[in-house]
Amino acid sequence: MMGIYIFIFFAYLFGPLIIMSITAFNSAEFPSITPWECFSFRWFNEGKIAYDGQHLAGLLSDWRLHDGIISSLIIGAGVVTLSVPIGMAAAIVLTQVRSQLRDIYYSISIMPVLFPGVIIGISTVVLWDRIAGLGGEGFIADIGRNGIFLTILAQTCFISTYCFLIFVARLQRFDQTQEEAALDLGASQTQVFFKILVPYLSPAIASAAVIAFLFSFENYNTTVFSILSDQTLTTVIASKVRLGISPALSALALTIIALTIIAAVTYEVLRRRAEKRYAESQEKFVKEKAADNRINKKYKAGFKIPKGITAILLIVVFATYGATQIVKNDLYGQSCIDAADKEKKSKFLEQLQTLESNELTDEELSGGSLGGNQDYGDIFGDPSLFQDFGGFD
Amino acid sequence: MSADVELSDVSVTFGSFYAAKNVNVKVNGGEFFSFLGPSGCGKTTLLRAISGFQEPSEGKVLIDNKDMSGIGPNKRPTALIFQNLALFPLMSVSENIAFSLEVRGVSKEERKKRADELLELIALEGQGDKKVHQLSGGQKQRVAIARALAVEPKVLLLDEPLSALDLKLRQRMRTELREIQKRVNITFIYITHDQGEALTMSDRIAVMNEGELEQIGKCDEVYNNPLTPFVATFVGENNPLYGKVTGIEGDKAKIETADGQYLATMNESKKLNIGDESIAFVRPESLFIPRDGDNFDNKIDVNIESFEFEGNLKNFYASLKSGAKIKFSVPNAIDTSSITSGSSIVLGFESSKSIILPKASLAID
Repeated sequence: MMGIYIFIFFAYLFGPLIIMSITAFNSAEFPSITPWECFSFRWFNEGKIAYDGQHLAGLLSDWRLHDGIISSLIIGAGVVTLSVPIGMAAAIVLTQVRSQLRDIYYSISIMPVLFPGVIIGISTVVLWDRIAGLGGEGFIADIGRNGIFLTILAQTCFISTYCFLIFVARLQRFDQTQEEAALDLGASQTQVFFKILVPYLSPAIASAAVIAFLFSFENYNTTVFSILSDQTLTTVIASKVRLGISPALSALALTIIALTIIAAVTYEVLRRRAEKRYAESQEKFVKEKAADNRINKKYKAGFKIPKGITAILLIVVFATYGATQIVKNDLYGQSCIDAADKEKKSKFLEQLQTLESNELTDEELSGGSLGGNQDYGDIFGDPSLFQDFGGFD
Repeated sequence: MSADVELSDVSVTFGSFYAAKNVNVKVNGGEFFSFLGPSGCGKTTLLRAISGFQEPSEGKVLIDNKDMSGIGPNKRPTALIFQNLALFPLMSVSENIAFSLEVRGVSKEERKKRADELLELIALEGQGDKKVHQLSGGQKQRVAIARALAVEPKVLLLDEPLSALDLKLRQRMRTELREIQKRVNITFIYITHDQGEALTMSDRIAVMNEGELEQIGKCDEVYNNPLTPFVATFVGENNPLYGKVTGIEGDKAKIETADGQYLATMNESKKLNIGDESIAFVRPESLFIPRDGDNFDNKIDVNIESFEFEGNLKNFYASLKSGAKIKFSVPNAIDTSSITSGSSIVLGFESSKSIILPKASLAID
């Protein structure tokens, strides 16, 4: 029962992502699994020129996407460098504030999270437009109308609050006598900060930086206003979707998913290695301390089947089935794509011809059997229309 | 190396609350001095005033005859050992010990040399690369001491550092602390609520209650000649016998209680007059079961209620006629099989072993 529930839950979570990832390999112009055209990597590369002459850019050839990614990275770096120190400083201040002021200070500090992102975006633009207007044509005017700069400021507004919360959580467990001990041992306040507090906070600094970057990278509703004439990854994608969705976006999504998974796996491997090293040092310590007979040395782990085996098997079965289908029906490679293109081109021409032959006459345009005045033009002439209308009182 | 510490009329207030009130005490250089008192009596506040974390509201702290007002904790010649030790968990043992040298800009080799010397002093040679969490409770304790000594302080302040240890370790650490103090020969100021710790280690102790000093003196002096009922009942155990003074003979006073008349010794500075409300104190170990030929100044009829075995001692809880409770202890070596719950016996005690003081509140425990 539990297994089924977990399966449904994960299917719900990852189903759309899996489908989307598969569509990245279909050569069709619109992201789809059925009908399957050809297996191809072209959405990761240069894309294609469609049968009607439209250029559908692939991931590698889409310069607007590249520009968007670069500005997203710049903004992300800027947001990290601003929000992490701001969040940390605010959290440290919270530990120093006593009395009722503390609650007020805390409420004010977390308020930006509660504001709609749209409002933060718009208000940043409005404020800096005024500021830019003040200074004439100089430097202030330039940066006041620089989309990337404004986006960094606007995002920092609320992302620094997330950093603040991370630091608050870590600082709650900080033993403040350590600061006092360091002071007592002759350290100055600055030394206490860099030698005691910062090392203690370093895990929080790392996670705050990662979270700040991710929040910045995926933000849309604030960015769309504050970015002005520039583009970030999210605004590029949004404008693309408006024109019709392309499989290049599936390719991009798959790339991001793959990078995320690689990062997560690397982190996990490193963490386990560190954990193992720690466990070994602990074991050594215990062996030094305790008598031999208290340590059971015979324990040896047997081979265990991983718990996720069903899921892995399922994926393998489906992947094999899909692959054999593709190979059997020759649905891959350049020849398949050429054939599909040719077919579509001929269909397109056929349709064009049909359209031309069905071209409407002037009379039909001025009032067809469906769109003319005859049926609806005389609506107020209907004598029964106001029958039940009692008039205005 | 060592320095005098003088508290002159020191008061510390938090709002209208006096954490410490008009404290006057002079700790001599090289002395092992303890502040003893129940929790909340202001002893930690005094320690923080000496170390510089708390400025006194009134009065002065003098170290080596220098006024310390306005001087921060990092500039005072004191080192504090915290109740929870406050070792730095992210640093190795050596780094912990050499921290004070590091912040003073001492070179790496010098730091290592000094850390090794101190590790030897605390008998942890070769364990400098360990992390703090790999040490046992007693070892952590010693590292904290070494870290404090690395600064070469003139005064070492200890805030109940042994309270987290188990009994055996605590007893061993007492001896060790005492030995370390003799070896480094600096002033130790020790804070504790455990009278056993204070008595075994200190040269002198100061008993505190509700922010005020009750008595300062050598350990046996405070134990044998308490100046107030609080000290009498806080340092060690004491049985109070309430009554009125009915006669005075030299330094002895006669007290009339609901259960009879007893003779007790007056303190020189706490003279009593006939008719004064007073309390005579007799310690559980000064109450004896008389054997043939014994002749005590005072006799007391009791009814045994219960019994508890402590190991070296057997403790009996008994009630007097008036309902007052009394406790007495007998060494385990003495056969007491005839004394059972419910039996009535007569106890005796010497007037020289009983102190009589003006009536005042006791230590509640």
